[in-house]
Amino acid sequence: MKKNKTAQKSKRTIAQKRENRYGYAFVMPWILGLFIFTLVPMIFSAVLSVCEWDIVTGLKTIKFVGLDNFKRLTVDPDFKKSLIVTFKFCLISIPFYQIISLGIALLLNMRVKFMKSFRLIYFLPSIIPVIASTMIWTQIFGEQGLLNQALKIFGIKGPAWLNNPKTALYALIIMGVWGVGNTMIIYLSGLQGVSAELKEAAAIDGANSFVTFFKIVVPMISPTIFFNVVMAVISSFQYFTQAFVMTEGGPLKSTLFYNLYLYTTAYKNYEMGYAAALAWVMFAIIMVFTLLVIKSSSFWVYYQNDDKI
Amino acid sequence: MISKRNNILSGVARVVSMILLLVGAVLILTPLLWTISMALKPDSEIYSSNFFPKVLKWSNFPKALSSIDFFLYLKNTLVILVPNLIGTVFSSALVAYGFSRFNFKWKRGWFLILLATMMLPGQITMIPQFLIFRQMGWVNTPLPLIVPAFFGGGAFNIFLLRQYMSGIPKDFDEAARIDGAGPGRVFWKLMLPMCKPVLTAITIFTFMGVWNDFNGPLIYLYDSKKFTLSIGLSFFKGLYTSKWNLLMAATIIVMIPILILFFVAQEYIIDGISISSGTKG
Repeated sequence: MKKNKTAQKSKRTIAQKRENRYGYAFVMPWILGLFIFTLVPMIFSAVLSVCEWDIVTGLKTIKFVGLDNFKRLTVDPDFKKSLIVTFKFCLISIPFYQIISLGIALLLNMRVKFMKSFRLIYFLPSIIPVIASTMIWTQIFGEQGLLNQALKIFGIKGPAWLNNPKTALYALIIMGVWGVGNTMIIYLSGLQGVSAELKEAAAIDGANSFVTFFKIVVPMISPTIFFNVVMAVISSFQYFTQAFVMTEGGPLKSTLFYNLYLYTTAYKNYEMGYAAALAWVMFAIIMVFTLLVIKSSSFWVYYQNDDKI
Repeated sequence: MISKRNNILSGVARVVSMILLLVGAVLILTPLLWTISMALKPDSEIYSSNFFPKVLKWSNFPKALSSIDFFLYLKNTLVILVPNLIGTVFSSALVAYGFSRFNFKWKRGWFLILLATMMLPGQITMIPQFLIFRQMGWVNTPLPLIVPAFFGGGAFNIFLLRQYMSGIPKDFDEAARIDGAGPGRVFWKLMLPMCKPVLTAITIFTFMGVWNDFNGPLIYLYDSKKFTLSIGLSFFKGLYTSKWNLLMAATIIVMIPILILFFVAQEYIIDGISISSGTKG
């Protein structure tokens, strides 16, 4: 009996060993990548954030400075400015984009004719390479650009949108509307998951479409809203190419987005330590906001199966 | 009575939403139309207020091709793109297969780490990675933009594939195993073919990601002879500030492959985006 048990046990360990061997063999590329491209750089980045290092002079000149980089943040006017610009962008653009993309998704969901063609048209701009759409809108926002020519018809003389510190940030926000197709598609798939029976039942009970929308549709798609808002916060903090190519952060730093400031610090001023500190602060901010959205979600997100994230 | 009234109401609602959608579609398409008409304008008409050019100057396109050094940039882009496609597809499939079919030690822990890396903003690792590649002498070569793809091909792709593979019944593997096929053969002959839809989606998204990538080439490629199309286009903008017709022609040329891909594979792309929200959210 006993012998039999140990034989079984050793059989099991052999089987487990086989699982280990093959399992690790297959996931090995990722584990190696995790160490080389994520974990080691993360540790390196943490070390850098408490050091001062000018990349031009090489590794020998790296110097431990403690929390100086983080202290410098509190007195750095550009850091403050970049936070203000990014938050302002978030506060205006996120509600604006969500309402527009949800609105389009609702219209598309009404089973109108040519629904597929419309979906294609509205989605089209969001697959266009960022650099291409950036070029197109630089031209549109120019002093003689499309926008000002359209305004001229109404007798309004528009500014050179991107050269004016009062309008540059808003120009970027308007440009972003063109690319809401991605968010719209996600809302559309959320809306298609709302059961028609539920809406019909509400209608039979005498609810008009506004009541149905706010009492049934919105709660049912609240996980989708939640997802889109979290993604929008994250992408606002990573906003880069448009500001880099169109305005270079100007005029008068009115479009100095956080990620653009980070890039300038690292690759224009070569202050790698300070840039690493900026990256960690960005990580912390994104984490805090994501957690805030997740925490608050228990008040307004409704999960059908009651299985929360 | 009520149903008749409802019918009329929903009819009105449909007409109104149709009109709104049409207006929106016009607004969405105008910038693209403007881009095309701008690309066809002769120099003398760049600042004229007419929407469509009086003379169509098709020669702007070959002129843009030669002044942007298009074929060199295209070659540079493809040198990065093709290995990225191969590396991403194969390594993410390998890793996903390991996660979905073998109960190795600490699997749960590794998988949680995989999910956690999806939340990590790239900016944290961007600077040290740059410094490491610089130490290796890889800066100003395409290598930093190629090699990482062979190490798992991105956490999200692995996750997507693992979910899909977990949905394939294990009976298939067992049957193949009884026939004497080892795990490698099962992966190659069974799993890869069965995962074709997801692999196609991953290929499309990788293609778009690499083609559109701006940050990577901006950081790693200094020499204008090594630029990719996206970075080359922005470089071109700096050189030809007021030649909007040529700039727009070049922009259209850079957009065309993505547009073709989109019209060929739109179902995959749209489904892929819906799925990504479903699995993440």
